[in-house]
Amino acid sequence: MSEPLLSVRDVSKSFGAIKALGPVGLDVAEGERLGIIGPNGSGKTTLINCITGFFRPDTGTISYKGQDITRLPAYRRARLGLSRSFQIPHPFTGMTVIENLLVPMDYGATSARKELENAEEILRSVGLAERRDHPAEQLSQLELRKLELARALAARPAILIADEAMAGLSEAEIDDILSVLFELNRAGVTVIMIEHIMHAVMRYSERVICLETGQVIAEGSPEKITSSPVVQKVYFGEQTAR
Amino acid sequence: MIVLDLALNAVATGIVLGSIYALLALGLAITFGILHIPNVAHPAIVIAGAYAVVVLNRFGLDPILAGLLWSIPFYFIGLAFYEFYARSFESRGGGNTLQSLTLFFGISLVIEIALVVAYGTDLRSVRVGYVGESLRLGTVAIPYRFLVPALITPVVVFLLWLYLSKTNTGLAIRAVAHDERAVSVAGVNPTAIKRHAFGIATALAVIAGAALVITGPVDPFAGRIHIGRVFAIVVLAGMGTIPGTLAAAIIIGVAESLVMSFASPSWAPGVAFAILLATLALRPTGLFGGVR
Repeated sequence: MSEPLLSVRDVSKSFGAIKALGPVGLDVAEGERLGIIGPNGSGKTTLINCITGFFRPDTGTISYKGQDITRLPAYRRARLGLSRSFQIPHPFTGMTVIENLLVPMDYGATSARKELENAEEILRSVGLAERRDHPAEQLSQLELRKLELARALAARPAILIADEAMAGLSEAEIDDILSVLFELNRAGVTVIMIEHIMHAVMRYSERVICLETGQVIAEGSPEKITSSPVVQKVYFGEQTAR
Repeated sequence: MIVLDLALNAVATGIVLGSIYALLALGLAITFGILHIPNVAHPAIVIAGAYAVVVLNRFGLDPILAGLLWSIPFYFIGLAFYEFYARSFESRGGGNTLQSLTLFFGISLVIEIALVVAYGTDLRSVRVGYVGESLRLGTVAIPYRFLVPALITPVVVFLLWLYLSKTNTGLAIRAVAHDERAVSVAGVNPTAIKRHAFGIATALAVIAGAALVITGPVDPFAGRIHIGRVFAIVVLAGMGTIPGTLAAAIIIGVAESLVMSFASPSWAPGVAFAILLATLALRPTGLFGGVR
């Protein structure tokens, strides 16, 4: 296997006396579709926050394309190609859909026309092209999720971390988002999917990691994870109990 | 007919006055209205700007031109101010409003004392040719020393509105206040954006200072009477809307002017807050909040 695109080594994070994460280690290969699952409070969001730079891990290192990025601020990691969407979409209100995408593009050296073309292309790729000039606050829930993805894509990332991009959507809407994510992956973007919706994450991922109380308890193909007794105990057990 | 003349004059004066108030409030519309930084030092910075303009005016430079020249160093002073603020508060996870308020109150006192030490407490004014003359339209008379600075405002408002709504950096300034994380995920350094916005606000303060010192002489404490009013304008407008700031300032200017003419000048300082309270009771987002 060639050098991983993203590599997490012995990363841990505590909040006061509570250990939220780790130590965990994982590698992500270029072009991979990785799913991360785990019950609420298992450390998924803490892990992404450490990877994207919103938390500084207490221990361990994170490297991206061979470069140690553990201490880089979030915006520098984003410029290197590491992007994420947020669980709860917060569009920039008071702006149109396309304006939401133009915010990120300013640091690039490209011309205004290029930026606009790029933004329009991303809107097309997520299926929001016809909503281009609508105020962001008038979008439907599905469209908001798409805008959230589009915004994460505006800086042309190499890795997209989609944090529960489908929570609360209908089956048809989930299919819609999944096809957008499949298309992105085909275009070369490495996708890390954090998701509670089991069938979606199993359908999408090539490899799945299961976290529980801040530790990786299982890792492997979707089939292997689905049939893993330890995963069934912490995860599916919890779900069927509900 | 005398009453009508009085009313017409009061309204005309109010519009002109409001336009000047708007110029004083624009910097605050950015720092407080958009970035939510309670910069009570803004009027003191305006007065510091007025003194800077007086200095250049001694060499015969037109005050407006002097204000424009000073706006460049003031932009950089603003960057330094924000850097200090960010390091002492925001980066430590604080950003506590009361603490920031205390900091800016302190900065405002330091500016005032520095002006006293450097220039004494005497009133300072600028020399321009048109002071003392008035534009007469029928029975309405507007002194040029008010009219000229009032005419700067629409230009500044238009340029600022254009910048904030049509450029990507302008969009980023509005976005950063909304969701700092989403902005940094997009590869934009949120601190750099806010620093830049603070620099623009400080540069606007010196333009406002130039306008203020044309209307009449200033002393180091002249900013104090404006603190309440400029905050009232920003909140009344609906936090950070630039055309709204101008409209709100004119409403307050006209109301103050009418109260001065028909009631008593001593009531005038309360007018801004009376309008603000009445408006917030009906429209908690301000007059133009939510509308761009």
